[in-house]
Amino acid sequence: MAGEPIVNVIIVGGGTAGWMTAAALVKLLPSRCRVHLVESEAIGIVGVGEATLPHIRGFNERLGINEAEFMAATRATFKLGIEFRDWGRPGDSYIHPFGTFGSGKGTIDLHHYWSRLAETSAATPPIGDYSMAVTMAYMNRFARPDPDPDKIESTFNYAYQFDAMMFAPFLRRIAEGLGARRTEGRIVDVELNGETGDVAAILLETGERIEGDLFVDCSGFVSLLIGKALAEPFEDWSQWLPCDRAVAMPCRTRTALSPYTSAIAMDAGWRWRIPLQHRTGNGYVYASAFTSDEDARAALVDAVEGEPIAEPRILKFKAGRRVRSWVRNCVAVGLASGFLEPLESTSIYLIQAAISTLVELFPQQKGMSSLDRDEFNRLIDLEYDRIRDFLILHYHATERSGLPFWDHVRTMQVPDTLHEKIDLFRRRGRIAKYREGVFLDASWIAVYVGQRVIPEGHDMRADLPSADVLAQRMEALRSEVRAKASTMPDHRTYIERYCPMEVAA
Amino acid sequence: MSVGAPIRTVVVVGGGIIAWSAAAALKRHIPSLDVTVVSCPVPDDAIADRIICTLPSITGFHEDLGLTEADTVVGAGSGLRVGTVFDGWAAGLAPYVHAYGSYGSAVEGIPFHQMWLRARAVEAAPPFDQFSLAAELARLRRIGSAAPSTASVGYGLHLRLERYAALMRDFAIHLGVKEHSCSGFEAKLRGDDGFVDSLTLDGGISIGGDLFVDCTGPAASIRSALDDAFENWSSWLPCDRVVSDEDQAADAAAILDRVFATECGWRWEAGSSRGMVYSSAHAKEKAAKDGTEIRMRQGCRSEPWLRNCVAIGDAAVTIEPLEWANLHLAHSQIDRMIAMMPGRDCAPVELREYNRQCVSEARRVRDFVCMHYVTARRDEPFWEDVASMEPPASLSHTLALFAERGRLPYYEEETFSRDSWVAVLLGHGFEPRGTDPLADLLSLDEVNRELKRHRDFIRDFAQAQPMYRDYMSSLSGRAPR
Repeated sequence: MAGEPIVNVIIVGGGTAGWMTAAALVKLLPSRCRVHLVESEAIGIVGVGEATLPHIRGFNERLGINEAEFMAATRATFKLGIEFRDWGRPGDSYIHPFGTFGSGKGTIDLHHYWSRLAETSAATPPIGDYSMAVTMAYMNRFARPDPDPDKIESTFNYAYQFDAMMFAPFLRRIAEGLGARRTEGRIVDVELNGETGDVAAILLETGERIEGDLFVDCSGFVSLLIGKALAEPFEDWSQWLPCDRAVAMPCRTRTALSPYTSAIAMDAGWRWRIPLQHRTGNGYVYASAFTSDEDARAALVDAVEGEPIAEPRILKFKAGRRVRSWVRNCVAVGLASGFLEPLESTSIYLIQAAISTLVELFPQQKGMSSLDRDEFNRLIDLEYDRIRDFLILHYHATERSGLPFWDHVRTMQVPDTLHEKIDLFRRRGRIAKYREGVFLDASWIAVYVGQRVIPEGHDMRADLPSADVLAQRMEALRSEVRAKASTMPDHRTYIERYCPMEVAA
Repeated sequence: MSVGAPIRTVVVVGGGIIAWSAAAALKRHIPSLDVTVVSCPVPDDAIADRIICTLPSITGFHEDLGLTEADTVVGAGSGLRVGTVFDGWAAGLAPYVHAYGSYGSAVEGIPFHQMWLRARAVEAAPPFDQFSLAAELARLRRIGSAAPSTASVGYGLHLRLERYAALMRDFAIHLGVKEHSCSGFEAKLRGDDGFVDSLTLDGGISIGGDLFVDCTGPAASIRSALDDAFENWSSWLPCDRVVSDEDQAADAAAILDRVFATECGWRWEAGSSRGMVYSSAHAKEKAAKDGTEIRMRQGCRSEPWLRNCVAIGDAAVTIEPLEWANLHLAHSQIDRMIAMMPGRDCAPVELREYNRQCVSEARRVRDFVCMHYVTARRDEPFWEDVASMEPPASLSHTLALFAERGRLPYYEEETFSRDSWVAVLLGHGFEPRGTDPLADLLSLDEVNRELKRHRDFIRDFAQAQPMYRDYMSSLSGRAPR
């Protein structure tokens, strides 16, 4: 509104979180804030989250980003879902699709009909056969979702797999183009206001002192402002999510370019495989209580398919989050606020959730309203809690045994909320409703069924068609999905036509 | 763990709209069930069975059953309605319309009311309800036969209660529902697990079943035999009397109802129905002259579904009919009962999820109704009392967020849309201190252009629609006789 004071925003850290925040603020709130980002090239970025969720499309759209340009610049590929290999039992495989099973539009979810078939016939095809996204993924096909909601080709969504190291510079160009200021420098101290306890300024190695009204902590694991200066406690979730390290090593892509990310169960954790245009990202997320760095490194080197293009690099972390993400005049975004392993590609999503909530609750005056802060923290807590439960499900719903890590996670005490959800699904295929969370019904169904939590009963309304009619309809749906997928272009062909990466000079 | 045997026989108890609707829906969606209605007289205090106004959601309930407008409007003699005029709720402000459907349309993700607030901060803007197509149609006594892409209108019904109940009964019996009439019964519980075993009717017949659906009104004759835990809302909703009557001379073409704030409650004029709701503690004398007066205790059963007995309608939730959500809540409970039908063991884990959703939904309707009182501006003792109470936490949260910059929080199981919340809040003059920062993306000129564009669109569109009377007679002309 005219006459509103301009809020001076200082962003600390220039990785993915920092530049996403900067770009969003200058683009969406040009008349409410001035943005100044401080980063040091001497400090590396973690660059997690090369794999994303479909929500990133909305973020890019709001920023006016051209998709093909963005994909070329970040050497991106399309992503229709996540493949989980060896989770329920060694040899198992399923895809958690970005899309529904069947049309997703009936009163009764398709999995009830599928359960009914499976109860009577052992030869029932896997539930993924009725999903457009799963079928396309396994066939390495890609096309854009059809805008006509009556068509089966409209029942999927997509995200990207991209090089996070290149995303930040891409956003930086946008943000600086719109007036964001950047200062290069290492932060050596944080000055608090003696009376209010708010962050007053940051001090750089060069002696420069930078004041601000609102500070956004994007400093990563070190959590410079909210963790160190403001001492907001960290809520530790490692009792349920014991993985605390990752060893990462990219390699050349040799196989087909799969339009999905893979998560493969390993002896003490799991391994990611993220195919980009120019290379494949690999990493082994493991629990240091169950394996050594040496063994983890050896296991990863052993497992990667292509020629390695860098030395293995080890990262350390802890699952959990700051009790509050917005404290006083400081908002933490990204790893400074918390960490959840990238099993379901949620890192960038969490950054995005924090940014859009901040934009909506952006301070109206230079002083912060505690109401806005509380609402921000309530919404961010919900996001973290729901993702946490969904991640724990992957470890807990397993029949793997004989390895100490898997024996531990299989038998551990899970949060009551999750325990009840699993029970509800196992009985009659019901999904406890949580519409606001990032993972909707189809995601939970995919993981339950994919990891052998098979409902013992089904919705009674699914008994309506006769057995023959049901079998016919399901088969018709399955062939339609297959037929439509097989007319779509090959993923690599689509990318080469649409958004080939710029060849390095 | 095993899901065990499925439910095969269901006994629905009650004789009104709710009981017959439950029975018809059960039989229609799960034909393998053996459904019996034990029909008994509907008590006077079963509000959901006795209010003629419904929300637009009734259309979806009918469609799912396979009932058409020919059955429910022409056949049962119902009228259409698009909302309510609130008169006298905020001193000094003109009456406003809470109509169903959209108010304005969002531009680039900016909610319409944010644009309206911005425009208004600078100069006078037309009242918010002038941006509702439904309100404009109602003003012109027209019905939208076409559906534009930038505005929506929801149509609820004015029921003729007896004809509508007869329609549901006929339909249920046509589907294969059985009926036993009685004037009273006794419920017998099983000794080992406390489940309902059977009902012994006053004629001596005993009726057993796997599941008992209690639609007997607030007394909940069967469900209350299991436990009586009740969430009492009367500190937030102090009105405890409802008086209703019929007015044969009513204007049959009025598709907006009127609700007037009174000294110690409110009164309505809706179709042919007249009535009032008030707080007996605040009334100087008995406020009612004519009509049937009932007592009401507003609140919700803590566990609407316990063991093999589920309470539906007033047996589960009693709320004053201020926003006409009573039948809607019953429909929603019926749909949920069917969608979440457990096994014969009625496992607690399954009932917990049912109860959680059911209670959350009821509480948000409570919040919406309660919001009318909290934000009203009148100075009689009753209104001062309700304005000074501490609202339920979820409502406080909603009001605090809205007061800040016009945001509304998301709640699961919300009945009334954001547009409905905004229409009433702004109608009461409850305006936020600031606007959504995103609304700054449009210049004030753009905002004003958008407001004018939408206003013109509504006026032109509504003018071109048929008159309500003509529409209704063409409907009955088309209907099979």
